[in-house]
Amino acid sequence: MKYLRLVLRSFLRSKRRTVLTILSITVSVALIAILQSILATLNAFANNPDASNRIVVRHKVSITNLLPTRYADWLRQQPEVESVMGLQWFQGVYIDRSNFFPNFASEAEFVNTVFKEEIVEYSDAQFREFLRDRNGALVGKNLADKYGWKLGDVVSLKSELFPITVRLTIRCIFRSKRPADELALHFNYKLLEEGVSYMKGRVGTFFVRVHRADDVPKLIERIDRHFHDAVEPTYSETENAFQLEFLKMMGNYSAIIQMITGAVLVAILIVTANTMAMAIRERTTEISVLRAIGFRTSQILAMLMGEGILLSVLGGAGGLAIAWLLAGAVRGYVGTFLPYLQNFHIDAGTMSLCFHATLAVGTLSTFIPAYRAARRPIVDGLRSL
Amino acid sequence: MALLYLILAPYLAWLVWAAFRYPVPLSYNWRSLWQRKVSTLSTAGAISVVVAIFVVVLSLDQGLSRAFVSSGRSDQAIVIRPNSRVELSSTLDRDQLRILKTSPLLASDAGGPLISSECVVVRSLEKADGDGSANVTVRGLEPAGIRMRSQVRLLEGRWLTPGLNEMVVPRRMQGRFMGLGLGQKQDFGGRSWQVVGVFDGGGSAFDSEIWVDVVALMQAYRRTMFSSALVRLGSEKQVGGFAQMVDQDKRLKLEVRSEPDYYADQTKAGQPIRILGNLITVILTVGAIFAAMNTMYATVASRTQEIGTLRALGFRQHEIMASFQWEATMLCSLGGVLGVLLSLGFNGIQTGATNFQTFSDVSFAFLITPGLMFKGLAFSLFMGLAGGGLPAYRASRIPLTEAMKGG
Repeated sequence: MKYLRLVLRSFLRSKRRTVLTILSITVSVALIAILQSILATLNAFANNPDASNRIVVRHKVSITNLLPTRYADWLRQQPEVESVMGLQWFQGVYIDRSNFFPNFASEAEFVNTVFKEEIVEYSDAQFREFLRDRNGALVGKNLADKYGWKLGDVVSLKSELFPITVRLTIRCIFRSKRPADELALHFNYKLLEEGVSYMKGRVGTFFVRVHRADDVPKLIERIDRHFHDAVEPTYSETENAFQLEFLKMMGNYSAIIQMITGAVLVAILIVTANTMAMAIRERTTEISVLRAIGFRTSQILAMLMGEGILLSVLGGAGGLAIAWLLAGAVRGYVGTFLPYLQNFHIDAGTMSLCFHATLAVGTLSTFIPAYRAARRPIVDGLRSL
Repeated sequence: MALLYLILAPYLAWLVWAAFRYPVPLSYNWRSLWQRKVSTLSTAGAISVVVAIFVVVLSLDQGLSRAFVSSGRSDQAIVIRPNSRVELSSTLDRDQLRILKTSPLLASDAGGPLISSECVVVRSLEKADGDGSANVTVRGLEPAGIRMRSQVRLLEGRWLTPGLNEMVVPRRMQGRFMGLGLGQKQDFGGRSWQVVGVFDGGGSAFDSEIWVDVVALMQAYRRTMFSSALVRLGSEKQVGGFAQMVDQDKRLKLEVRSEPDYYADQTKAGQPIRILGNLITVILTVGAIFAAMNTMYATVASRTQEIGTLRALGFRQHEIMASFQWEATMLCSLGGVLGVLLSLGFNGIQTGATNFQTFSDVSFAFLITPGLMFKGLAFSLFMGLAGGGLPAYRASRIPLTEAMKGG
């Protein structure tokens, strides 16, 4: 510790070089932090603890095939089941396609029990209004704020999947725990059933809420066995597995992000190593003098390493700070067309990853030049005086 | 990017002019770079990584766009239900098709008029790498539909026999999904379908589709409605006329879209990649510019004496500046060339993603085009200009006396 001043002095010896290197590390780490947080945010969707006691039932052939709504009757009779709701992805477009938000035709009377963790705060009176009005809509607070919708406003959604445009009246506004959940719009399934002939008695998925999460695997197996020989066989999975399937559809994004992270780390390793090699080279004589007056090799090595690590960790801290500042922009900008990213934030895992990565970069990049400098014969070093 | 170069154009012109007019020889710069091998190579290495990331990420978008853009012929059109946008959510009944089939505008060949009524469904298939399953488009078509897609070639086996439960699959999908080998069977729609042929879609969207007979598919799925019709017209100009005819016919209520238009719309699937690519590029460029600046400042500092000599020989300040600017540009372009070479290793690797418009998988390859390589190089040049400017200016401003002393 008593050499801290010495380390700091040599750290600031060439201010421009130090600042440029730190900045270069800073922006690279900011990129890594943002990419890793995107990955973490996406994965959190397939790892949602609130969804642990929900099952999604869909047609075995694919998500685009429909199931008969009467399957819900059998599902509701199962002792483990708390509530069942038929839900159809509507893909409605509000004004034009840039205004994307998830909207569903749902069996309205079950929506607040099945999605108890998502639809948290709402007034009972408003919810009764929503149930009473066939053209009613239940919307998240975030969504309502985004478009300035108030109770009683009429919103028209033109579906891209079904030959129908629905005119909905906002009847109930809810709040949730996570901002991304407040972007959803639900409306009464009957409206879709009546408007589109081939949807009569048919629905895309059932969301099944089970009393105890432990019963989920057994129930999944029983549902699929029961409908195995039916004309429309089912495929059931946990809601998390269902979400994961959608995420996988985006392609192997996690491999791409990991690859970029690796490449960027290599790049900052090279940059830092270059700087440290320069810094150490111009101090050859100084180091030899230090050793001549009695500093040991290990002490010199430790001081030089300390300098390298200080450099990269400062850069890393700056990077995290920038990423943190940019998080809001990512949410606002990218989140509008990839709603998953509405929850974007720099999480603790990413921070610790960046910290460790920069620590490693500092150590690795400094070790070789520092080791060579510290082991160099004193006479050689003094000769260039 | 183009705009940046427009702004920098006068500066670039001055540099080129300076190199010819009062030459501090460029070979001097080139040799100086190799005086400090480790430093040069590490900076070039860092820049090459940045350029490689830029090229590889955008090559994904290129590959995806190619898959859609190469799918259409300009004299062909797709007929779908208005407002359905994609075939998957469109419906056409038999009466509408009968009217379309009798249109006088259709082109024809030896096999009859070139119109194919088609039915598109989605089926999930097990991936070959064991990573779950992905949705795949299954297209039911008529024999005319195969003839109309001229970019598709049969590689093995034979085409479909109408009425039988047979399928032909693209070569590209065989590596990515299980059970698509010649002679193997897949069960869907309550029937068992045998692979009788393998085709090559030439990088088009058809490389991501399984083809079966339309009649067999509709019977299996108990469908009475087709999804769409593909028509070929006498020439490109008649597409508009055909669209007008369909529009005016009150019995039809259908929408005609030219095939290239239809597929160009779907290249929007690449938008997230494009945005990610741009984000990464902007951030990394800033980092790379700092790194280049650092190296160049060090170069200038260590060559004070040389600069003094040059000045004493009679080279003027702006010539020294141009010289160092050239050196920075060389350094970064070296990185650019390395980066492009690195990225070439990715060219042609197969991958897939879901087109969220059709909810089905698209097979495509990383595609590194000459244009993209050029962009990568232009980019490294920009880093050289931006990173070298300040150090070069500094080099030119070192007072002569101080420089001669050796700093």
